[in-house]
Amino acid sequence: MIKFENVTKIYPNGYTGLKDISLTIEQGEFVAIIGLSGAGKSTLIRTINRVHDITKGKLTVNDIDVNTLKGKALRKFRRGIGMIFQSFNLVTRTSVIKNVLTSNVPDLPFWRVLIGAYPKSQKIAALEALDKVGILDKAFVRVDHLSGGQQQRVALARTLAQNPQIILADEPVAALDPITAKQVMNDFKRINKEMNISILINIHHVDLALEYADRVIGVKAGEIVYDGPSNQVDQLVLDNIYGGQEIGKMGA
Amino acid sequence: MKYTLSNGKQVEQKRSKTIFIVLAVIAMSWISVVMTDFSFKVLFERGKRFFDILISMWPPDIGYLKFIWTPLFDTIKMSLLGSAIGSLCAIPFAILASSNIIHNKIIISIIRLFLSLVRTFPTLVVALIATYIVGLGTLAGTIAIAVFTFAYVGKILYEQIETVDMGPYEAIESFGATKLMAFTAGILPQILPSYIANCLFCFEGNVRYAALLGYVGAGGLGLILNEKVSWREYQSVGMILVALFISVMIIEAISHYLRKKLT
Repeated sequence: MIKFENVTKIYPNGYTGLKDISLTIEQGEFVAIIGLSGAGKSTLIRTINRVHDITKGKLTVNDIDVNTLKGKALRKFRRGIGMIFQSFNLVTRTSVIKNVLTSNVPDLPFWRVLIGAYPKSQKIAALEALDKVGILDKAFVRVDHLSGGQQQRVALARTLAQNPQIILADEPVAALDPITAKQVMNDFKRINKEMNISILINIHHVDLALEYADRVIGVKAGEIVYDGPSNQVDQLVLDNIYGGQEIGKMGA
Repeated sequence: MKYTLSNGKQVEQKRSKTIFIVLAVIAMSWISVVMTDFSFKVLFERGKRFFDILISMWPPDIGYLKFIWTPLFDTIKMSLLGSAIGSLCAIPFAILASSNIIHNKIIISIIRLFLSLVRTFPTLVVALIATYIVGLGTLAGTIAIAVFTFAYVGKILYEQIETVDMGPYEAIESFGATKLMAFTAGILPQILPSYIANCLFCFEGNVRYAALLGYVGAGGLGLILNEKVSWREYQSVGMILVALFISVMIIEAISHYLRKKLT
């Protein structure tokens, strides 16, 4: 369970990222966060694994007060939270399996990381993660030989290999074509249902958000302006979130 | 220069400064000629001596070859070991000098200043100082090569680290790794091929430098080269140069092949 209690985030330059956010997300929910660029979607997601610190309020994840974590405890906490990025953030000049194996890096002795000697059990776990996202046959191919959609699946497998309870995804399909975007969203949905992993996803494509997520959170200027089931989002809600501006539609 | 268009608009182009730059370069060249006593007359009159020496090197004294092997391999060993030590020592300093890894500006400036300082020492001077510290011989040469390699590879490496894709580093840190681990797993694979390529390139050059270091007593080919030149045994000198030429060619060919494979 992720619980925001009156959370405010002010950046060092004075910019307010989040304004007095209160929010509860239960284990196993599929939440889409929508809003304009700069509204605070990324900030919201990145406070959960404390890539960003919060300024005021309290943020607890599974009853752990995130803002008190330091050093080793913080790294251990981050082990349970996977993260997916818009630009995949893979090491493109090495093989797919090596990228998946990097999720085990925090648990390994330094010399193993240095020479890339990963234990066999982890290699099998990595291959199983690749199988779950359907690209087992690409395991020993270099990442830069894969398409964008395949690369995002490698990133997803990398996250699965760390057995997270929560996956945070920051614009995971923004760099993908509509068809591939749907495939990746299907992967998210399946992982969410089969493994009961909470998924929080920042997304610009409103129609994908409404189609795949159970719950939609609309963010505007650092505040939550909508929080409810995705099937209750109508034009009025969207107009409010996007301030009456043109909505980024995508056709597939 | 002013241009007037048919509709009356005017555009001004600034006068080119090329002529002043050319004049300044000519003036400075002339000052250099005067200051260094450069004389075409001497060059014309004495230039043919060069060919005298070159001709007296021919044919190279094959019999002298058996005395060349040891200093030749000393030279190669010095450059290989020196390059390896220098390249390895450069890694931590390069990391500390990279602004995308270290956010403390003071540390970065101190490390960069240190690297620049080391780079300004001529290798020959370092070798000379090293002979005072560790005595005559190949150890001094190895140290000199290591110091030069350290400064050179260090500079190139931190520039590479700064242009690296930080995405993987961010990702690996986000799932609970320390900065060192994230660097090793996320950034090292990106820079490793070009790092090794640069070390090899540096090693290529070092073989040629190492051949000189004997002049200040730091071991290797330079030692016998110096000796044979001063005794005017030009056919032996010729043999040394042929041996050096062939070794450098072989090393460059291997290194070139390896570097091609890497990138």
